[in-house]
Amino acid sequence: MYVVIVGCGRVGSELAKLLSQEGHNVVVIDKEQGSFKRLGQTFNGITLAGNGFDVELLKEAGVEKADAFCAVTNGDNTNIMAAQVAKKLFKIPKVIARIYDPQRAHIYHKLGLDVISGTVLLAAMIRDKIIESHFTSYLIESGELGVIEIKVTEKFAGGTVSELNIPGEFLIATVLKKKGVVIPGPDTKLEKNDILMGVVKTISLKKVRGFFGL
Amino acid sequence: MHIIIVGGGNVGYYLAKRLAQGKHVVSVIEKNKELCERIAKELNVLAINGDGCDPNLLEDAGIDKTDVVAAVTGDDEDNLVICQLAKETYSVKRTVARVNDSRNEHAFNELGVDVPIDSTAIIAKIIEEEVSFKDFVNLMTFKRGKLAIVRVDLTEESPICGKQVMDIKLPGDSVLVSIIRGEEVIIPKGTTLLQARDDIVALTTIENEQHLLDALIGRLE
Repeated sequence: MYVVIVGCGRVGSELAKLLSQEGHNVVVIDKEQGSFKRLGQTFNGITLAGNGFDVELLKEAGVEKADAFCAVTNGDNTNIMAAQVAKKLFKIPKVIARIYDPQRAHIYHKLGLDVISGTVLLAAMIRDKIIESHFTSYLIESGELGVIEIKVTEKFAGGTVSELNIPGEFLIATVLKKKGVVIPGPDTKLEKNDILMGVVKTISLKKVRGFFGL
Repeated sequence: MHIIIVGGGNVGYYLAKRLAQGKHVVSVIEKNKELCERIAKELNVLAINGDGCDPNLLEDAGIDKTDVVAAVTGDDEDNLVICQLAKETYSVKRTVARVNDSRNEHAFNELGVDVPIDSTAIIAKIIEEEVSFKDFVNLMTFKRGKLAIVRVDLTEESPICGKQVMDIKLPGDSVLVSIIRGEEVIIPKGTTLLQARDDIVALTTIENEQHLLDALIGRLE
């Protein structure tokens, strides 16, 4: 893939290195020439100093043939503007904007921009870690579903996956066994200390917790 | 009218001052505390200290009953976001944005700002007009570059010299706005006689600009 990244801070440089190591063609744009130091010596993509929504510079970056565009500077509005220029003026198929401010993230998400808000994600993650042990709801955007981790106790050892699924409410998706990860069939046998990862309806969480005695 | 101005620097200050004199209800949002205090002290407007991209502050400024939002900060990305918030979230009818970097004007047009105002380009045009010896100057363009006001100086060779306005065949979608003869401004009527060295100000669509020039000075610029 041909990916244009605007912003070479911690996130931008990390993303650029990751994609470049996977063999993608990466162009990184940042206002400060000095920021490109973060990419390290082995980075073999292209770097361009300048403004991430400057149409001429974007053309120079080859944005017209880009498959994806990520705006990850530390300025929300810069990201919003750059992402919209990429999406509406250059029609890049995949455009992602990082927005810190949850309110603006929500508004631009509703306006059809593909938005990632580290603030919202992190807050939800930390909240889950504090309040709901072994349960996360931030992975699934609507908030209707979450993922729960359950350790198989004596009581359930020897049973099968299908005995524990609750149709319409809870579904075991993977089982972490000592020998590795298993995608279970209905008859997969459970042993003590296996860890189940299941998808659960948020409204059924209490019931599932009760069922497993958590 | 209710008007919100975001940005209380020089442009925002004088804009607020002028609009407030015109019986409009004006709110100004400005990040810098000192600038904001100066506006509160000197002008009869509501001055709010904070980030104009923050929906809460826009609500404090009364955006729900606002007719126009003018974003005149020194940052184009902020001006764009303010106008988009106003338009998309609060259904403000008219949004005006200052364009600091001329390269962004096109993007502003495409991304839904009603009226982007590129002060650099405007000043350059005025200066061009003042220093130009050409007999044609594009004074300004608006409506996303679809319309233009142009100034054309008539010479002796012009095919319309000595003719009455009603006898000139103008291309469609263009009109003569005024004739400047020396110090005198004439609003043209059908019987107005055109003379060499008249300056003609005309409104035209961009597609017809060249035809208009052909009709007025009879040759390609």
